[in-house]
Parts: sequence; structure tokens; C-alpha cells
Amino acid sequence: MTLTGWEAAFFWVFAIAALVAALLTILARNAVHSALFLISTLVAVAALFVLLGAEFIAGVQILVYVGGVMVLFLFVIMLVNVGAEERGNEMLFNRPAQVATSAVFLVLLSLGFIYAIRQGYEGLLARDNLITQEQRAEAANRRHARQQDLRPTATGTSRLSQDTQLVGASLYRFAALPFEIASVLLLVAIIGSVMLARTSKQEAATDDLELKDEG
Amino acid sequence: MDMLALFAPPELINGLLLKLRLGQETINYVVWPFIQIGAVVTGVAVWAAYATYLERKISAFMQARLGPMRVGPWGLLQPIADAIKLLTKEDLKPDRADTYIFFFAPFISVVAAFVVFVVIPFAPDWGVITDINIGLLFVLSVSSVGVLALILAGWSSNSKYALLGGLRSSAQMVSYEVAMGMALIGALMFARTLSLSGIVSAQGLDSIWYIFYQPLGFIIFLISGIAENNRAPFDLPEAESELVAGFHTEYSGMRWSLFFMAEYAAMIVVSAIATSVFLGGWYFPGAWRLGINYPHLFVAVSLLVFLTKMAALLYVYFWLRWTFPRYRYDQLMDLGWKWMIPAALLNITLTAIAVFTVQALDGWRGMNTVESIARGVNLTGTGKLIMIAFGALGVFVAAGMLSYINHGARDFNLKKQRVGIRLVSPPKGQTAVASAATAAVAAE
Repeated sequence: MTLTGWEAAFFWVFAIAALVAALLTILARNAVHSALFLISTLVAVAALFVLLGAEFIAGVQILVYVGGVMVLFLFVIMLVNVGAEERGNEMLFNRPAQVATSAVFLVLLSLGFIYAIRQGYEGLLARDNLITQEQRAEAANRRHARQQDLRPTATGTSRLSQDTQLVGASLYRFAALPFEIASVLLLVAIIGSVMLARTSKQEAATDDLELKDEG
Repeated sequence: MDMLALFAPPELINGLLLKLRLGQETINYVVWPFIQIGAVVTGVAVWAAYATYLERKISAFMQARLGPMRVGPWGLLQPIADAIKLLTKEDLKPDRADTYIFFFAPFISVVAAFVVFVVIPFAPDWGVITDINIGLLFVLSVSSVGVLALILAGWSSNSKYALLGGLRSSAQMVSYEVAMGMALIGALMFARTLSLSGIVSAQGLDSIWYIFYQPLGFIIFLISGIAENNRAPFDLPEAESELVAGFHTEYSGMRWSLFFMAEYAAMIVVSAIATSVFLGGWYFPGAWRLGINYPHLFVAVSLLVFLTKMAALLYVYFWLRWTFPRYRYDQLMDLGWKWMIPAALLNITLTAIAVFTVQALDGWRGMNTVESIARGVNLTGTGKLIMIAFGALGVFVAAGMLSYINHGARDFNLKKQRVGIRLVSPPKGQTAVASAATAAVAAE
């Protein structure tokens, strides 16, 4: 379970980058800078997904969040006037009560976090029977053997992972109904946003249908 | 055989590196990728520079001119002269621009355009830097990051033209990304993998180009790709007549040329993806036989084949640019959302039906359509004929469906636009009077 070699180095680099960028997201005064730091966090988290062997999730994370959601974020930030927060007023969020509340919340959150991580780690060890050193070595061997069964890449130096196929198969085999429900939900959201955004004037003027001429 | 040794660069370099006391592991995983990356970056940069030269030459020939002729023979050294000019120009920053983002945006653009080349299969074996299972997804996701650079450049310039260009580009690229991704799904149903090398070798095993199975998908991908690259006729983000130069109005010197290089690199990326997904990539008839006898010559020839196909697609880019006028902004959006995306969805449905039909027909009344589906769909002659017929049918079905959906649309119908813009259609011999309905709309 412990990281070694280059894997560990990359993990620490990306983990620290994600944390620092996340901090800067809330510390930056300019909303566009905040959005940029959020993008950096998302990219670093995508890199952590790659380290976990979940390449598909990493690719989707970049495609959906960085390429889609964050572009729309920036779009909105640029269209809406956010000058007021930029122009100072340092005392706005620094009253004693606010500071105390956030400190208490931070302590509670970190306690819960540490508890959850400990529980999760022990649960993983128990599930995979990785109590003794030999069992861990055996699990590593099994993983290595599974890796060797995969098809080699075009360059011939490594193996092609199968996680995309696994995601697709489990999505359509075990989660087909939730998937369809989510798609209906998105459709409702799309239609709703169009209905909200469209005024009756636009209905008449920019509708594709030609206006009826009675004259 | 000495001549053929020239086509064995990996062994030569490997031998040299082993002499430098590097382990084979280090060479495989560290040194060799760096050599390939260096080769690709240099190659793409040079290609981008000479693409500008070709573009100027081709446009000149199309307009019965000579194009650049002064620097070097036939103006061949023109791109180098341009590069020196741009490098030595002053790097200006507008007053009250957001300094960091203004300086940073061109780099995002270049990185997003260049990183994609990591997974592009230029050739088999050592002709590809890396082969990952999410190849195509990686390409789509990284190139979608490129839009950030355009928005940020537009916003940080503190100029209204640049901001409008940035907003236009983001709307345009986000809408065409959808159609572009969906146009590829049909081809993925045949290849059964997202790895680009895997897609190419699936076409090689089936000995067919997917453009024959997927003509509709190819057309949609090409149009959305051109729109995604902000090239004419979809170059609204930098429409000279309206926005000066769009998002890069305030950029000068080296930073401007980075945007320029990224644009050409992105063009090369789209052509390379279209080549490997629809035009068979490096595959050519008789490839396997050559591969067994002369492995390195095989790679070199494959590389040449790939580059030729890519160059042909790049020519299409230049051709279209000097043939069509720029679209209006509402036409661009309508083309994306009402033509490309429905057509892409239809293509997915039709392809699924076709794949199902061909598999169902296998073994029906002694018909033999499917050879194997282990590594991509591998069809027999009959199966291929059925699939090609389905593909050709798809074009007509899509044309019918699109003309039905957009039956009353005014986007590309100039007569209806005229009527709509004037809001009147006067009867013959009478003066134009606004009707009650249109007057009510106008008053609202």
C-alpha cells in the first residue's frame, strides 16, 4: 500500500500542488485568478487519478471540468461585474465571530477527515486480507500477474490498461437505470434553462419559424 | 543491406546510449521518450512554420499571384525570416492588463496544442511516443483546454475587441467540441478501443479505412474540426472586419507567434486524428508483408504514408479558407447545434443499427459476414459491402433528416432571411406595410 520510487515522488508533487492551488483558489482576490487556481487543482487531481490507474476518470475530469465547466465559469465571471470584491474592503470577512466559526469548523472537519481515513485504510487492509507482510507481497504478485495478462502497447514497453472497458461494461451492465435517470435529469435541466432564458420577444423574433404575414 | 541500416535509427541510438553506461530501463522509459518528444516538437514547429508558407503560396496560386518569392529560392526561407522578425519585435503589454494571465495565456495555448502529439500514432513501433488506453479521450480533453487560453488572452488584454473575440471563441469551441466528440463514436464502435494505435491497427487488420464505413462521421468531424480550430470559414473569434484581430489583438512579437504556432499545431492535430481514425493512419496495402521483412523500413514508409495523408487534409484546410466567405455568428451557432449535433447523434444510432444488423446476418441463410470481433470488428467481403452500403445510406438519411428539422429555418436561406429582416413581404404592385403581427413584435 505504501508508495515507493517515482510513484511516491509524483504523488507528493501532485498532492501538494493540488492543496496549494486549492488554498490559493480561496485566497485569490480576483475571481478569474480563483478560477485559474481551481483549474490547476483539477488538473493535479486528474494526475493523481492517473497514478491510481484510473486513466479514464482522469481524462473525463479534464474534458468535463477543465474543458467544459471551468470554461463556462470563466465565461460567467467575465460577463458579470465582480469588481466590488477586488477593490479591497479587507475587513469584510475578518470579524472575530467569523474567524472563530471557521476555526471551529476547520477542527471538526479535520477530526472527521482523520477518522474517515483511518477507518478506510483499516477496512481496505481487512478486505484484502493484507494483515501480514507475506499476504501483502502475494497481493502485489497477483496485481503484477494481472498486469502481465494485458495487451502490450504499440511501443512495446508497457501494457495497455483495461479500465475504459471496465467502466463501460459496469456502467451498462450494473448501472444502466441510474445512468438513464441521470440523462433524463440533464434533459430536464437543459429544457428548463432554455425556458428560463427565453423571453417572449425572442420567441417571436429569433424563432426559426417564419413570422406569419397576414397583409 | 547497408542502405537499409540507415532505416534502423533505434538500434543505432540505443547502442550509443548503452555505451554511455545508461541502463536499458532508463533508455526505454526516460531517454527514448525525450528523443521522440524533441523530434516531434521540432518537427511540428517546423511544419507549422512551413504551413504558413504553404498557405501563402496556395492562396497566391488560387488568386493567380506568385506569393512570397524574395527570400531564398521561391521564397522558401520566408518562414525563417518571419520567425526572426517576430523574435526581435518588442513584446508589448497593454496598460492595465492583467500581467500574469496576459503573459501566461500563450503558453497554455501552445502546451495544449503540443501535448496531444504524445499519443498520435505517426507510425508503428518507434513511430509513436506512447500508447495509452484513453488515447482519443486524452486528445479531446487536452485540446479542449486550449479554449481556456483564448478566453484568458481575450479577458486579460483589457480591450473590448479581445474580450469579444475571447467570448466568441469559447462559445464556438464549446459547442463544436460536442459534435466533434460524437462524430468519433461511430468509428470507435468498429475499433472497440480508445487507443489511437489500436484504432489504426484495427483498420489494418480489417484492411479498410473507416471513412468507407463512416462517411457521415468523417464529414461531421472535418467540419467541427475546422470550427474547433477557429479557421475560416469559422474564424469568428478573429474576424478582421469586426474585431480587428479578435482575442490576440493586443499581443505582439513572440507571444503573438506562440498563438499562431498553436493554431497551426491544432490544425495538424485535427488532421492527424482524422487520418488515424478515418483514413487508416499509417496503414497501407501490403504493410504487413513489408513489416515482417524490413521492420525499420516499414516504420519509415508508414511514417511517410501518414504524413502524406495528413498533408492532404491540411490542404483541404487551406482550400476551404480561400473558397468560402466567413459565416455570420448566428449561422455558425445554428450550424453547430442544429446541423452538426443532430447529424452526429443520427450517425451513432445508424452505426449501432448497422453493427447489430451485420452481426445478426452472420450465419443467416449461409451468409458469412463477421470474421472476428476480438480486436476490432473484422468483417468479410460481404460484411464490408453491407457496412459500406449502410454508411452511404447514412449520408442520405442525415441529409433528409437535417432538411426536415431545418425546414423553416432562416439560417442559410437567403430569400427567407430577406423577408425576415424586412419583416414584410409586400404583395406585387403595392407599397410595403408592416403587418399587424410583425408590428406587434417590433413594438414589444
